[in-house]
Amino acid sequence: MSQQQWTDVPDEAGLDALFAEARAADPAPPSDAFFARLQTDAQAAQLPGAAGPVTPGLWSRLGAILAGIGGAPGLAGVGAAGLAGVWIGFAAPGPTADLVNSFWQGAASVSPRASVWVDGTETALDTGSADLLSVIDGEMQ
Amino acid sequence: MIASPGPDDDALLARYAAGDAVAARQLLERLAPRILRLARRLLQDPVEAEDVTQEAMLRLWQIAPRWQAGGAQPATWLHRVAVNLATDRLRRRRGVGLDEIAEPDDPDPGVVEGMMQTDRLRALDEALAMLPDRQRVAVVLRHLEGMTNPEIAATMGIGVEAVESLTARGKRRLAQLLQGRRDDLGYDR
Repeated sequence: MSQQQWTDVPDEAGLDALFAEARAADPAPPSDAFFARLQTDAQAAQLPGAAGPVTPGLWSRLGAILAGIGGAPGLAGVGAAGLAGVWIGFAAPGPTADLVNSFWQGAASVSPRASVWVDGTETALDTGSADLLSVIDGEMQ
Repeated sequence: MIASPGPDDDALLARYAAGDAVAARQLLERLAPRILRLARRLLQDPVEAEDVTQEAMLRLWQIAPRWQAGGAQPATWLHRVAVNLATDRLRRRRGVGLDEIAEPDDPDPGVVEGMMQTDRLRALDEALAMLPDRQRVAVVLRHLEGMTNPEIAATMGIGVEAVESLTARGKRRLAQLLQGRRDDLGYDR
């Protein structure tokens, strides 16, 4: 390459000529020893069980199952539920009546007597539920 | 750049996965020299370049049974692996993250003043080595490997516009760096 061709350097246009020279330079090919190493790697990876279609192993199958239940978050949920079950089993919580009462906030202990359920000024009833049913029957008739 | 005569790389890779040793050799002859050349240009260290090439080829063999033909070309995939491996080594050399590397805008001819080599290509290699990693990769792929911008984008995992920006900045920076080596380049004063 002549000196004249480089008069533009370091302009970017001059760089293009430098790049062209670099591309044209014949790079040393891989040495025989290196190529042999690459071939050895290729053959080793091609050994049965190394490169062929592989049957999914235990971990792969577990991974597939895990993916089916939503991945790690799903597994965490299942684990938490399991631990909660174990805890309940060991802790043996007492009767749940208190829990029910607190849930219904006293509604479960409301008197079934009709006087509580209807306005006393209209019916003046102070009877049990059986009486209430008879009153309702009378109304329907 | 990517296309090769004869059976396409997808077919050869499928044959390799099926146990065809000849296909392995054909793929090696077709791809290994390119990957080695790229690694040499990026790393400028023959031993490291061979290591990267060997690792990249090994990964290709390992993925062969799961390779899905019709997607990315094996050559493009291999270039990407090689670029990533080389970039990792460049980062380790510098001991800092890629994003932490400053990309100077101002000419700094003093950086290259001490260089005494007279070979133009050597000067180019040395200037390339001073570029930030991503600029170096983009410039090497574009101007030395002759890849198109979309091919570079696929290889680097970035957009075409980013490729254009990187190559433009890299080329500008190279020109600045080589300004201090006019004699080496045969540049008339």
